[in-house]
Amino acid sequence: MPFVQELRPSPDPAAVIDFPPEASSLAIRELSLAYGDKTALRNLSLRIPRHRVTAFIGPSGCGKSTLLRVLNRLHDLNDEVMRKGEVLLEGEDIHATGVAVAELRRRVGMVFQAPNPFPMSIHDNVAFGLRLQGGLSKRKRDDIIEWALRSAALWDEVKDRLRASAWSLSGGQQQRLVIARTLAVGPEVLLLDEPASALDPISTLKIEELIRNLKSHLTLVLVTHNMQQAARVSDYTAFLQDGELVEYGPTDTLFTNPRLRRTENYITGRMA
Amino acid sequence: MPDSSPPLSVRRRLRQGRDRLATVLVTAGGIGVIVALLAIGVFLAVEVVPLFWSSGATQTISQEALWLPLEVADDAVGYRWDPTASLAADEVARVSLVPLAWGTLEAAAWALLIAVPLALGAAAHSALFMSPRLRSHLKPTLELMEALPGVVIGFVAGLVLAPWVERHLADVLAMLVLLVPGLLLAGGLWSCLSPRLQQAMPLGWAGLWLLPWLLLVLATAQAISPWLEAWAFGGDLRHWLEVRLGLDIAVRNAMIVGMAMGFAVMPSVYALAEDALSGVPRSLAEGAQALGATRWQTLWRVVLPAASPGIFSAVMIGAGRAVGETMIVLMASGNAALMTWNPLDGLRSLAATIAIELPEAGPGGMHYRLLLLAALLLFVFTFLVNTLAELVRTRLRRRYRRLGGGA
Amino acid sequence: MRPDSGSRRRLFRGEGPGAWLAAGSVALSLLALLALLALLAIRGLGHFWPADVALVVFEDGRQLAGERVREVPLPAGMGRERLYRTGNRDLDGARWDWVAVSAIAAVSHPSDLVVLERRRWGEAIGRLTALESETGERIEGEAAWAALETRLAELATLRQARDTLRDEVILPRVRALEEGDDADRELAMANARLRELQATMEGGQLTLETADGERLVVPLEQVLRARRPNAMSSLDKLVAWGEGVWRFLSEGPRAANTAGGVWPAIFGTVLMVMLMSILVTPFGVLAAIYLNEVAHQGRLTRLVRIAVRNLAGVPSIVYGVFGLGVFVYGIGGTLDEWFFDDRLPSPTFGTGGLLWASLTLALLTLPVVIVATEEGLARIPDQQREGALALGATRLEMLTRVVLPMATPAMLTGVILAVARAAGEVAPLMLVGVAKLAPQVPVDGDFPFLHLDSKFMHLGYHIFDAALHGGDVQASMPLVYATALLLVLVILVLNLTAIFLRHHLSTRHGALSRR
Repeated sequence: MPFVQELRPSPDPAAVIDFPPEASSLAIRELSLAYGDKTALRNLSLRIPRHRVTAFIGPSGCGKSTLLRVLNRLHDLNDEVMRKGEVLLEGEDIHATGVAVAELRRRVGMVFQAPNPFPMSIHDNVAFGLRLQGGLSKRKRDDIIEWALRSAALWDEVKDRLRASAWSLSGGQQQRLVIARTLAVGPEVLLLDEPASALDPISTLKIEELIRNLKSHLTLVLVTHNMQQAARVSDYTAFLQDGELVEYGPTDTLFTNPRLRRTENYITGRMA
Repeated sequence: MPDSSPPLSVRRRLRQGRDRLATVLVTAGGIGVIVALLAIGVFLAVEVVPLFWSSGATQTISQEALWLPLEVADDAVGYRWDPTASLAADEVARVSLVPLAWGTLEAAAWALLIAVPLALGAAAHSALFMSPRLRSHLKPTLELMEALPGVVIGFVAGLVLAPWVERHLADVLAMLVLLVPGLLLAGGLWSCLSPRLQQAMPLGWAGLWLLPWLLLVLATAQAISPWLEAWAFGGDLRHWLEVRLGLDIAVRNAMIVGMAMGFAVMPSVYALAEDALSGVPRSLAEGAQALGATRWQTLWRVVLPAASPGIFSAVMIGAGRAVGETMIVLMASGNAALMTWNPLDGLRSLAATIAIELPEAGPGGMHYRLLLLAALLLFVFTFLVNTLAELVRTRLRRRYRRLGGGA
Repeated sequence: MRPDSGSRRRLFRGEGPGAWLAAGSVALSLLALLALLALLAIRGLGHFWPADVALVVFEDGRQLAGERVREVPLPAGMGRERLYRTGNRDLDGARWDWVAVSAIAAVSHPSDLVVLERRRWGEAIGRLTALESETGERIEGEAAWAALETRLAELATLRQARDTLRDEVILPRVRALEEGDDADRELAMANARLRELQATMEGGQLTLETADGERLVVPLEQVLRARRPNAMSSLDKLVAWGEGVWRFLSEGPRAANTAGGVWPAIFGTVLMVMLMSILVTPFGVLAAIYLNEVAHQGRLTRLVRIAVRNLAGVPSIVYGVFGLGVFVYGIGGTLDEWFFDDRLPSPTFGTGGLLWASLTLALLTLPVVIVATEEGLARIPDQQREGALALGATRLEMLTRVVLPMATPAMLTGVILAVARAAGEVAPLMLVGVAKLAPQVPVDGDFPFLHLDSKFMHLGYHIFDAALHGGDVQASMPLVYATALLLVLVILVLNLTAIFLRHHLSTRHGALSRR
């Protein structure tokens, strides 16, 4: 569904965008968030392009993970959270009354920092989300599982031991299994919260390659503290600091020619 | 992208409905269960109220009758517990709870006197000296000891230990006297051993290889006891105690209760104390040892002060258990409502009184409500003691996290 | 580290006496535990071993036959005294005899001494002199023993047949009759058959000559077993020991709980504990889920959590008082007024019973289950929960498909610990429904099959009762030892299972936290 209304201009002049509003998958408008009396996000607005990789970078505690968790309403789990502003997924407010949280999370999948496969077999892990929806024949489900594992570049490694415990896999394999598990549900957006930070370099490369392949049909949002990684895989990068959006733009521009001193300092490693 | 058939909206609403229903049910059930548990205190309090504020039918009792000595016909004043006695019109009910409370606390005190040193010693040894392998076996063993039913311990104490102790009073005394020197002698002998033997019998395994030594010490004590008796007590310790000290000696007495209940309480005190000691961040102990302190000095100067709130809460939990334990006191104490300092005389505790008398006391009567008052006392006492212990423990845990957080 | 001679002195000075006292307290605790277990095992199992029967001849020519029980020194060096179990209570009114060791002239173990186990009066010890059959035929000498053995085997078969007839034919018919069915003729026939069996069993008697020369005539029907322990080989004794243990486990108590077995108590304990775990598991898990997954994690929840933890430390007798006041007098009394007023004033549910006992113990063990389950739930990393939610699971689906399966070992641990605690708990049962003697187990073929209102026997209470309230404590002691051993074994096995499960659990989660 295309956007019906034009976005109001961002209050932060540093956020430069070069894609039309219709190409946005997610739009965040004047979002503020606080845990009790601790503010995590301040009046944040940005649009995330469809079928591209967008990276959030910034120092620890800048709110990038919080922002990511808002996008599929995982912050709902904490009932001390106060929120202002809205998040639109394909033009619909995800916080509107009547929006089924479970349904939203099915459309906006998430992969976490540490691999978290369930204590079940590989097959059952991928089938988990499908079984929740129900209404699929076993044959069809198996097809989707194979497709998901292939998409996550894991099929060749596990096709002979689908019934083995997911915890018997290596860390990198576990993370790809988690991605496959999320893909099987058929999301439109995939949120990745530092997906490679717990992995070795080779596994990291595999995940990055996977991310690049997935953008052909998915919108990806990546939180990372590794700037090389952001530069390698993302199309757009947002730099956050202290819960504020400092600068947002095409990755090339932001890394080679940042408009603000704060951004440049962070990227070049000269932190105040 | 696979063409997965879109989930039906009906199914989705069903799932949401089920989720909401389950949340409501779990909330209701959870709150219900917790309320049912907490209702215990409320029930006791409500049932006890008519004792003090007359509601017509039942007799009321003054606080003085419960807690102060009253004048009894035969001897001047005294505390009496005899709620079923048939009274003359002018007599006051003999319902003093003091002897029962006395008995309860006396039994608990003897139990703690035995359990606490044993438990703390064992905790210190296993936290600081014991080999990790032995320790990983010792903890479950002592947990099993904790699970031994009170009725079995009470049976062994009341029907096996008590008659034996009565016949072998001097042996027991000799054992008590020899125990500490015997252990110290073991330490002294060990340090004179050749290094190779010392390695074969390391301090970390002393808990095990001291067992035969301990048996030897106890056997020696039994062997020298007639001599001890003849030398110090004119040949008959029992006679000496009765005549010279004027002590009454009952077969089932406070000492026996103390030993049995000490045995029963020791594992739980040990478990909590050990947790507290081994939870002290390693960096603290290592810091002290790096300065040249021995392990024992480290324990005494650094670890113990840091863990003292935990130790305190362990002792509190032990006290709570000792006060409420029923079967051991019932079977090993003789159940005479006496108030003496004499450890060789009987006692009667609140819990045992409830167990004996409540089935006979008809519901709603004064006797029934008095026994409920006793139960309320037990409830309030243990609840307070445990809460205190729990609060101290939570605070301690937070402090450890601040201190070094490694553990 | 290998200490050289210089540091050897330092080592002793170094660790000091405290370390040795600490080690000693470990050893002392272990010693006490081992001594207790060894005592129970030896006394409990030893009782079933057929002891030799001694024939004691005194200096004054008097004789005595009996099993030697123990020997103790007399006070002030007055020699030693020995206790014999002589049986024959019907002859001299006592079955124990203390004798001064100095008065004994000779002790022998003649192989022809017979020990009879009788239905009444306990054991009889003596020499078998004659066996008379119902027809008046008289067998004497060595042949009498062989004939006795044959006859006793026959009697055992007959007894078996009679019990089967009574339990499986007559009792159901009597019940049918009470309900108005026409079962008269079958019943009459069965009763006739029963009388016939009874008649076959009666008649016949044996004559026993006791050690001091008295004659004891025992009707054969009264004799359960006869043996000549002095003539038995070790293998025979082992077989007899096995049979004794089996009878202890499978039979009901006899002679005011001083003989026989503990089957009704085993059954009652197990049934009560099963009912209790059926009650406690769902509620405990529910409360734990509420506290850990649903409730707002604020100050109030923290307080409730502490309170629940503390309830585990409230004395069990207090729960018993609550059970008596609320379940028995409150709910039970009301139920009686509503549904069983035809039986009043004799109470149905308004008195202690199986249901109230199970409910009370369920309440008592609720904190154990809640705490264990909550610990299991808290140990599951939040990533697992978020992972399920991120796949579009509702909270219920997250709980049932991911969280609860992972917490199952913890829940099981909690339930097993609860069962172990309940199995050993006696004090509250004394208030809410245990019985001294209830040979009828609370489950039968009679509607509604499980009698929740009936009293039941319990192993723990059996120990208490037989040890403190029995008529002849000396006689019931061996059985109390055996019962205590049984109870301890049951509880040890349950606890070991819990420990094993917890170990299993921690290793699995160890694998999980591997990053």
